[in-house]
Amino acid sequence: MSSDVQDPDRRAVSATEPDDLNQVVHHANLPETRFSRAVDGAIKRFGSLISWFWIALVAVICLNVFMKNVLGIGSVQLEEIQWHIFSALFLLGLAYTMAYDDHVRVDVLHERFSLRSKAWVDLVGTIVFLLPFLGVVLWFAVPFVVKAWADGERSSSPAGLGQYWIIKSMLVLGPALLVVAALARMHRCLALLRGAPAPAADPVAEG
Amino acid sequence: MALEFYEIICIGMFAAFILLLFTGYPVAWVLGGVSVATAFLAATVFDAQLSDGFYSISSQQLGVIVQRMWAIMTNWVLVALPMFVFMGLMLDRSGIAASLMENFVRLFGRVPGGYALTVTLIGILLAASTGIIGASVVLLALLGMPVMMRNQYNPAFASGVVCATGALGIIIPPSIMLVLMADRTPGVDAGSLFMGALIPGVLLGVLYLAYEVVVATASRRTAPVPAEARAMAFGDVVGVLRAVLPPAALIVAVLGSIFAGVATPTEAAGIGALGATLLALANRRLSSQVVREVCEQTTKTTAFIFAIFLGATAFSFVFQSLGGEDFIEHGLKSLPFSDDGILISILLIIFVLGFFLDWIEITLIVLPFVSLVVPELAVGPADPAVRMVWFVVLVAVCLQTSFLTPPVGFALFYLKGVAPAGVAVTDIYKGVVPFILLQLFALALVYVFPGIATWLPEIAYGP
Repeated sequence: MSSDVQDPDRRAVSATEPDDLNQVVHHANLPETRFSRAVDGAIKRFGSLISWFWIALVAVICLNVFMKNVLGIGSVQLEEIQWHIFSALFLLGLAYTMAYDDHVRVDVLHERFSLRSKAWVDLVGTIVFLLPFLGVVLWFAVPFVVKAWADGERSSSPAGLGQYWIIKSMLVLGPALLVVAALARMHRCLALLRGAPAPAADPVAEG
Repeated sequence: MALEFYEIICIGMFAAFILLLFTGYPVAWVLGGVSVATAFLAATVFDAQLSDGFYSISSQQLGVIVQRMWAIMTNWVLVALPMFVFMGLMLDRSGIAASLMENFVRLFGRVPGGYALTVTLIGILLAASTGIIGASVVLLALLGMPVMMRNQYNPAFASGVVCATGALGIIIPPSIMLVLMADRTPGVDAGSLFMGALIPGVLLGVLYLAYEVVVATASRRTAPVPAEARAMAFGDVVGVLRAVLPPAALIVAVLGSIFAGVATPTEAAGIGALGATLLALANRRLSSQVVREVCEQTTKTTAFIFAIFLGATAFSFVFQSLGGEDFIEHGLKSLPFSDDGILISILLIIFVLGFFLDWIEITLIVLPFVSLVVPELAVGPADPAVRMVWFVVLVAVCLQTSFLTPPVGFALFYLKGVAPAGVAVTDIYKGVVPFILLQLFALALVYVFPGIATWLPEIAYGP
């Protein structure tokens, strides 16, 4: 079928990589700064690394099913590990997704905004919506984790996992990482608003 | 009728959310920010007015948001969601769609509208791609659009087929939308929703197929039979069977184990993810790069859905604290309609919201509130648990329209991004209209004959 998709303008999306939607979704082409490049680069590498844990999750689920149905051994710990992996990944993935600007937006007006307007939206939105929200979450999440640690909180099931403070601390780590990603984003918006040129079509190109 | 002060705040909160969405700032953070801002205003500026009434919120109460986030984290059923995402992304990359395309095209060579039927059948089969709508629409567009355009299909017709079919994945189980809906509706579990949505979902697919045959037969110019096509041969049937068997076996294994009660949705999703990986391996499409990209995309998809989930949790909590539940319940019950009228109004509201919200927001924010009134309405199945399943399936069918209704139709948006030259945006908008009508027709069918949705779950769980 490959001959059908050789439209030169569309080469970036192909039938073998239908989920690579970066060419379809138009991201604001903001200039990068030294700070944003360092932060986004680190977050992207980190996110890419932790993404391999989905394989571990598949393996744990399959192992659990095998043990339960074939060997007749149920394991509460194997079941709890499943939501541990899942929740750690989605919380840490919040910043990763922001570094790629992949969070869901209502695009209908946004895609017609000028680049400067888009930068204003992100700058003001982050200050007015995102940071206060994360502030509230962090304000309550820190004591939540400390309490779990101080109480030695563990699974309510005797056969379950202990040390719940570790997984609960993802409620601090995920939002904290998101704050850092948001600062990088804001720095890029500021750079544009202060007159740094938007990068050319190739986002890697130096502005 | 004078509004109480808490009602004004509730309206203001919801209106602020909708309006601010149009700035294009990410939905998740608008939800979180509006909740924090509303709570702050209610606890300070408006505290005096609110304290006359029954509802109020203090800043200390916001700690509940963290408790509720923890409840999302520990919810084992939700683990099914990233696993279905993984399975769908892997299936999309397994090369199955391309081999289905090749074989179906040979089989339907001489059938009017053969390419359209092919696209729709692939869409139904790959509905196990579980509704990563962007990926399904792009996949079907890249496979189907060039062939249809080369064969002089009407661009509007071709666009409609791709968009409507690409959106089927979200309703035909296994589906991430149904997993989330079950989580947000009290008394409904994912297994019975999967069963409830199966027949309505397939019914939609059959309606699309029937429509395509009728149009192609009635107007040869809309979907001409290619001149070089030959009649189907026995070998083509074998080829199709060989291409259909692997994905069909995977779907039967995943759904069958849930329906038979052997596996939970989470377990079935994990096994399905493994199965899809093995299919990719068998098709020689598996490489470390494919695995890495599927894993990364799973992280992004899961994170953007759960970001909205976290924001919606904060929103619902503040909205509830300020009396939002009572407000909506009173509002709906005071409508001058019969119980049927109230239910139809709810569906109408969801249809209208579907023009500018997508399934994630509607499922996470609107569904939990409107479903509160359903147990008290004397409509549909008598058993309250069965009625709830029926209601959620109605909402699911209704949400199918949200993918196709401009300006914010996900399917339209993605097709616009990859449509070949010669397909104008107006073609896409025109093309989806008949399919939206078919969806509304299916919605009416499920409404008038609840058995379409309730028959299967009732057999499984007893009346």
